[in-house]
Amino acid sequence: MNKFIETDVLVIGGGVTGTGIARDLSLRGQKCILIEKSDLNAGASGGNHGLLHSGARYVGSDPKAAAECKNELDILKKNAGHCIEDTGGLFVAVKGDDEKYIADFEGLCKQSGVYCKKIDLAQAKELEPALSNDLIAAYEVNDASINPFKVSIENMNDAVLRGSQYFSFNKIVGFKIANHSIEYATIINQNDGKAFNIKARTYVNASGAWAGLIAKMAGITINMVLSKGTLLVTSKRMTKRVINRLRKATDGDIVVPGGVVSILGTTSIRVHSPDNIYPTINEVDQIISQGEMMIPALKSCRYIRAYSGARPLVSEGDIEDDRNVSRGFTLLDHKKDGVNNFITITGGKLSTYRLMAEKASDIVAWRHSVFSKCLTKEIPLPSTKSGGWSEPGVPINKPFKPETANDPVLCECEMVPQSAVDTLVDSIIQAKGQPDLKSIALRSRIGKGPCQGAFCSLRILSHMYDRDILNDISDIQALKGFLNERWKGEQSLLWDQALVQSSIKEMIHSGLFGLELIKD
Amino acid sequence: MKIKQNKDCDVLVIGAGLAGMVATARASKLGLKTIQAGNSSALFFASGLLDLLGVYPMDSKKIVSRPYSTIKKLQADHPLHPYSKISRNHIGDSFQFLIDFLDSAGLKYSLPGQGNKLILTSVGTFKPTYLVPETFSKGCDLNPKNKNILIVDFKGLRGFSAKQVASGLGDNNRKVHTLTIDLHENNGSLNPVHLAKSFERKEFLQTLSNKINRFSPKTDIVGMPAICGIHNSLVLVKKLEKKIGKGIFEIPGMPPSIPGLRLKNAFEKKISDLNTIFLSNAKIIFNKMENNRFILHAINDNFQTNIRAGCVILASGRFPGGGLLATRNTIIETIFNLPVFQPKLRDQWHQSNFFDPKGHQINQTGVETDNIFRPIDTAGRPVFENLYAAGSIIAHNDWTRLKSGTGVSCVSAYTAVNNFYHKISSMRNKCSQ
Repeated sequence: MNKFIETDVLVIGGGVTGTGIARDLSLRGQKCILIEKSDLNAGASGGNHGLLHSGARYVGSDPKAAAECKNELDILKKNAGHCIEDTGGLFVAVKGDDEKYIADFEGLCKQSGVYCKKIDLAQAKELEPALSNDLIAAYEVNDASINPFKVSIENMNDAVLRGSQYFSFNKIVGFKIANHSIEYATIINQNDGKAFNIKARTYVNASGAWAGLIAKMAGITINMVLSKGTLLVTSKRMTKRVINRLRKATDGDIVVPGGVVSILGTTSIRVHSPDNIYPTINEVDQIISQGEMMIPALKSCRYIRAYSGARPLVSEGDIEDDRNVSRGFTLLDHKKDGVNNFITITGGKLSTYRLMAEKASDIVAWRHSVFSKCLTKEIPLPSTKSGGWSEPGVPINKPFKPETANDPVLCECEMVPQSAVDTLVDSIIQAKGQPDLKSIALRSRIGKGPCQGAFCSLRILSHMYDRDILNDISDIQALKGFLNERWKGEQSLLWDQALVQSSIKEMIHSGLFGLELIKD
Repeated sequence: MKIKQNKDCDVLVIGAGLAGMVATARASKLGLKTIQAGNSSALFFASGLLDLLGVYPMDSKKIVSRPYSTIKKLQADHPLHPYSKISRNHIGDSFQFLIDFLDSAGLKYSLPGQGNKLILTSVGTFKPTYLVPETFSKGCDLNPKNKNILIVDFKGLRGFSAKQVASGLGDNNRKVHTLTIDLHENNGSLNPVHLAKSFERKEFLQTLSNKINRFSPKTDIVGMPAICGIHNSLVLVKKLEKKIGKGIFEIPGMPPSIPGLRLKNAFEKKISDLNTIFLSNAKIIFNKMENNRFILHAINDNFQTNIRAGCVILASGRFPGGGLLATRNTIIETIFNLPVFQPKLRDQWHQSNFFDPKGHQINQTGVETDNIFRPIDTAGRPVFENLYAAGSIIAHNDWTRLKSGTGVSCVSAYTAVNNFYHKISSMRNKCSQ
């Protein structure tokens, strides 16, 4: 007989929406358990630009989404300022871009209430010297950059503080359904392989691109369309502001700064499964060749990482380009499908995660006769210690300070000291997670600098053996796993200096340590 | 303004990794007028272990125990591999030359025999290698069933945990102990070079041996990170062994590598004794051929040196050394623009698994040569009469997977220099007749 755990709400999925719901409901006095089959932001929440849209991107294709973005931007700037860098943004067109799209832009922004101001080209070049000399139009907008890892960590930390729980590496395998309701969910703890059941009053499917697969376990069909987008990280920050190409959404048309790097994207390729999606060399080359039309330096700069995410879209009929499917979100109350205590929230985007969480939580609260209204509009998202290490690149003028003089730096590219690793290890243990290189990397900048984990991985690993967190030679597997995870992000970008670094990594980890020889 | 100077030599060696060092050592030793140009920090990445052939066939993950007999198989299977261009004796001679040369500079290595050794590394894995510095030798083929082993680490020496190393010695943990030495450094981390230098101080050795002697469980042998001194490491290890009354072995680890620094120092010392010129961190530009001699420019911050050389040994390495450069579409050789053997598309450069036992295609890329290591054109003819390639720039040798780096570097450099030497000696003899 499996162990039973009872809770008010079971939230499935540890992305920004799921953690946002956990916090929202916790603020309303509900106890949640959030289960995540891997770790925070493993899906699209971790595979995006980190762009907080001003809304201008959607004024032509989706005015409703544009207006939502605008409102959410204002709320998040006020309440989650520590997760945001208020960069501002520009929309620019270059020679050859669609003149009609350019001509309509300002009017469409006005209709959606989205701020947009035409600026002259000389001024645009002055604001952003990296821009091309071939600009033909430029508009200023209110875009900002947001750190989605920090958002999820802080939302979850606050929810936990208010009595909710986070179970990472716990995978749902089925629902027991009786009398048109879910009686309980069966979950497997992926660390020890043991199954247990969670009995909740309401079950919230916030699993993003996996929403269709989870709904299927309850016998419900959702027509998900998964659109893979690939992004590239430059080793240096290219611009102060977010730079958008002023044209209908297509490949390689957004450059978002974050800390000391810039993130360039994206593509849109239909995929059939949200699992195991990685950047391809074709995508990388396509993104660079488009991006360099706005910012010529993108042609020759160094890239340190590429990654992909699957946009979870809910399909309504035939679609030509997946980017034209509404980026508004989808909230499904499965009462209509014959399962009374089950809802799905999916689609949407990072910029509107809070609103998505609010709407989903409203349904739950109503069902549970909780009449407290949503508080995430008013109560700021607290800033915690374990959230601080996920900053997207450390601003040069603000290096992380070791806590004491006796605190060696374990990751030299991103200046992460031992005390930070310790803080993260402790917080992962507290959340019943598995502290290893991957889970530490998710919560910090380790492995994301130019060396791509060649050196820091070894320093952190030996520190974890010293602390007795690891104690068996088989734990070396985690080093292989970590380096392979990094590899997926670097493989499509290996030329010039990046190839030099990966060669050095191979010299050390294969040439000397022979990690390829140990049994998987 | 840069200061201009002109220099004439028999041999210009480009590169200061192992291949460049062996080539320079050999050429200087043979009395050839030699100039070496390279990045002097290259050997900081060398583990100090001298590999011959450690794994074969590559995708079988099979550890090679008798490298020479396996090389025979490799020669039959892979006629393009650099080992397939030479005989067993060549390899043996080149290794003997290398260890004799290092020995004369005071750096002792284990003696070449038939078999490979298994060496415990700082991550806890065992690596097959051919020759090890004498200070490593007691750690070869370690078996905790026979011995009580103590692994020592230093608080603040990042990337080396005695507990981690001990875990590599298996389940038999009753016989493996660990000890952390706290030197009370207050900046948190120890610089490996400074720590290695401390071993040269008497008081330091005394303090260290006191701490080890105070460790109570009975142990027979002590393993340490490879930081026991920079100069005279063997003497220092012997001193420490005497003080603690048991054997010591060093354990190789991540860069910066002290055994690599010892190699660099040993080479540099002997080479400068032989009046060879070293041009540090200079960019080499090939200008033209003139009367069958290479005209090149070596440019660094202060100097432009115009070099006339009878022969060039290209030991400029792969991507980290700058011998090869990858653009988004193609791989080029940076000094002579030699043809580079490579896959057609970037898509084929790498496998999707970083640790794929088949290795990455890009590691097969490089310069193809004739049987005396002269780079060849697409028709198979030497590109220049007296241009030789040595070391990792040579194609068809995935040394990270085969554990064949030193062997290929050593034998190609040695063979190339010998060949040029014989050529010009016979020419000079003819002239004098």
